[in-house]
Amino acid sequence: MSDSKERLAESVSALMDGEVSEMELHRILKEVGIDQDQSTGRNSRGSVRGIWQRYNMVSASIAGDPVTMTDLSGSIAAAIDAEDTHKISPFANLMGGAGRFAIAASVAMVAVLGVQQLNSPDPASADAMQFTQMDISGAQQNNGPALQFPAGFQPNAPVRTVASGGNVNTSRPAAPVVTLKPSVQRKFSERELRGYMDDIMMKHSNNAALNSNHGMLPFARVNAAGARTDKE
Amino acid sequence: MPVIQWFKHIKLAALVAAIFAHGPLVADQMESAKDLLARMAYASKNLSYQGVFTYEYRGQLRSVKVQHLVRDGETYERVTHMDGPAREIFRRADNVDCIRAGDMLLRGGALKLDRGGYSKLEDLYEFHIRDDVRIAGRRAYRVEILPRDKLRYGYVVAIDKISGLMLQSMLINQSGKPLERFQYVDITFSEALDSVPLPAELVNAPEVSQSDCLISNQQVEPLPSQWEPKWLPPGFILSSYQMQDDEESWMYTDGLAVFSVFIDSAERSRNLPPVDAKLGTTVAVLTKAQFNNQHYAICVVGEIPRATAQQIANAISPVILTPQAQQQGH
Repeated sequence: MSDSKERLAESVSALMDGEVSEMELHRILKEVGIDQDQSTGRNSRGSVRGIWQRYNMVSASIAGDPVTMTDLSGSIAAAIDAEDTHKISPFANLMGGAGRFAIAASVAMVAVLGVQQLNSPDPASADAMQFTQMDISGAQQNNGPALQFPAGFQPNAPVRTVASGGNVNTSRPAAPVVTLKPSVQRKFSERELRGYMDDIMMKHSNNAALNSNHGMLPFARVNAAGARTDKE
Repeated sequence: MPVIQWFKHIKLAALVAAIFAHGPLVADQMESAKDLLARMAYASKNLSYQGVFTYEYRGQLRSVKVQHLVRDGETYERVTHMDGPAREIFRRADNVDCIRAGDMLLRGGALKLDRGGYSKLEDLYEFHIRDDVRIAGRRAYRVEILPRDKLRYGYVVAIDKISGLMLQSMLINQSGKPLERFQYVDITFSEALDSVPLPAELVNAPEVSQSDCLISNQQVEPLPSQWEPKWLPPGFILSSYQMQDDEESWMYTDGLAVFSVFIDSAERSRNLPPVDAKLGTTVAVLTKAQFNNQHYAICVVGEIPRATAQQIANAISPVILTPQAQQQGH
C-alpha cells in the first residue's frame, strides 16, 4: 500500500469512529468520487469504498454481528438512474450560473449570520421563538436526589424523574414539579422548605434591588415566585 | 472539479455577505459603551420616572407598574403587580448620594479587592454597542455585554438615548439564549412627578440602612464572620453585609451580576436537606455544615450559572482561629 493510500485508510478508520475533521471528510469524499471514475463495478482493495467495506466487516465480526457483503450502492444508483429526469426549464438553464452563486451566497449568508447569532445573541430576531424554547434542558430536567421541592422551584439535575408532559416547545407556564419518594425518610416538610426558600428569595431580591443597577427587575423576578406559591 | 468551484463561490459570497452584514454597524458614531453604562447607573438612581414594564420568563409574562420618585435626595419606590395576585410594594431605596459597590463598578470605577488587585468591569465583560432600537416609544442604544468567562451570564440591555435609563434587559446564558426579558412598555419622565404628593405608605416606609455605601474605592468592610469564602468568581466583591440574630447575609457583585450568601443556624433550617434548586433565572444552592457542634445552613442565591453557585457554596468554610476550633463535622 502506498503512503497516500495508507493515510487514506487511516482517515477512513477515523471516519468510522466519527473522529475526522471537516477537511479530512472532504478529502475522503473526493477520493470516493475518483474511485468511481476509475473502477467500474467492484470496489478494489485500496479504494475508499473497499476500505470502508472491509473495516465495517471487521468491526461487525468483532462485535459478533452478522457479516454481510451486501452493497446497496449499485442498486440505489440504478434506481436513481431509472427515475424520470425532471425537465430543466430554459430560464433555469440560463440562470444556472447566477443561481449557483445566489445559493452559494445565501449559504454563506446563513453561515455568517449563524456564527454571529452564536457569538452574539441578536435579540432582534425572533425573541418570542427563542423564549418559548429557551432553557428547555433546565426546565425539563428534574432532580435526581430523592428530595421534595417546593412548587415552582425547578430542581437542577441531569436525571429526569418526572415527565412534565406536553410539547416542550409550547410556552406553558412552568408546572410545579414535585417528586415524591415515600421510601425515603424525610425530616422536613415541604412547607418548611418552601418557607425557607421564599424567605431567602425575598431577601435576595431586596438586596439585589439595592446593590444591582437593574432597578426594578429583582421585584419582577420574585413576583414570579410569589404568585406561584400563592396559588397553593 | 465542481466541489472546488462551489467553494470559490462560497468564499466570494461570504466576503460580500460579511461586508453587507457589518457595514451599517461600523458607520455609526456612538458614545462609548462605558459612558453609556455609567449614565445608566446614574439615571437609575437619580431620575424620577413612572411606567409599566413587562417581565418575561419561559413564556410567562408579567406586567408591573412602577413609580420611582426622587425627593430631596431621597428615593421612594412603588411597585404594583398588574396581573396575578394583587400585590403592591411601597419602599424607600438608597439616598441619591449613596454609591454602592455595584454602582461604583458600573460607573467605571475600580474597586480594591481584599486579596489584592482591583475589580474592574472591563476585565470581566466585553461591551458592544449594537444598534438603535425603539422601546416604549423611545429611541435607545442596544448594548451587548458578553462575559469573558463561563462563570457569569451575559446581558443585552437597551439604554434610553435621552435619559440614560435602562429600558430593556435580557439575561443571556452561555449558549447565547435569552433566559428572561425585562422591558418597559411605557415610561414617562415628566416634571409633574416632582410634585406628585407622596402616599402615606411611602412616607412611612422604613429607611434603608446606608451603612454599605462606599466612601472610597475600598470595598465594604471585610466580613466580621466566622465563615469566609475560600473561592469567589473573579471580580466579585462584597457589596453588603448584614447580621441579624442567628442569620448573616453577604452580597457580592461584579458590577452587573449579584449573588447572596445566607448563613444561618436557626432551628427552622435544621432539618432542611441540601437543595439545589432553580427559580426562574435565580439558582439557589443550599448546603449543610456542622461547626462547633452547631448546625449551619449555607445558601448561595443569585442570577448566576448553577455551576458557579455550587462552586461558591462548596468553598465557604469556617475561619479557623485556633487549633481547638477545628473540631468540625463535615
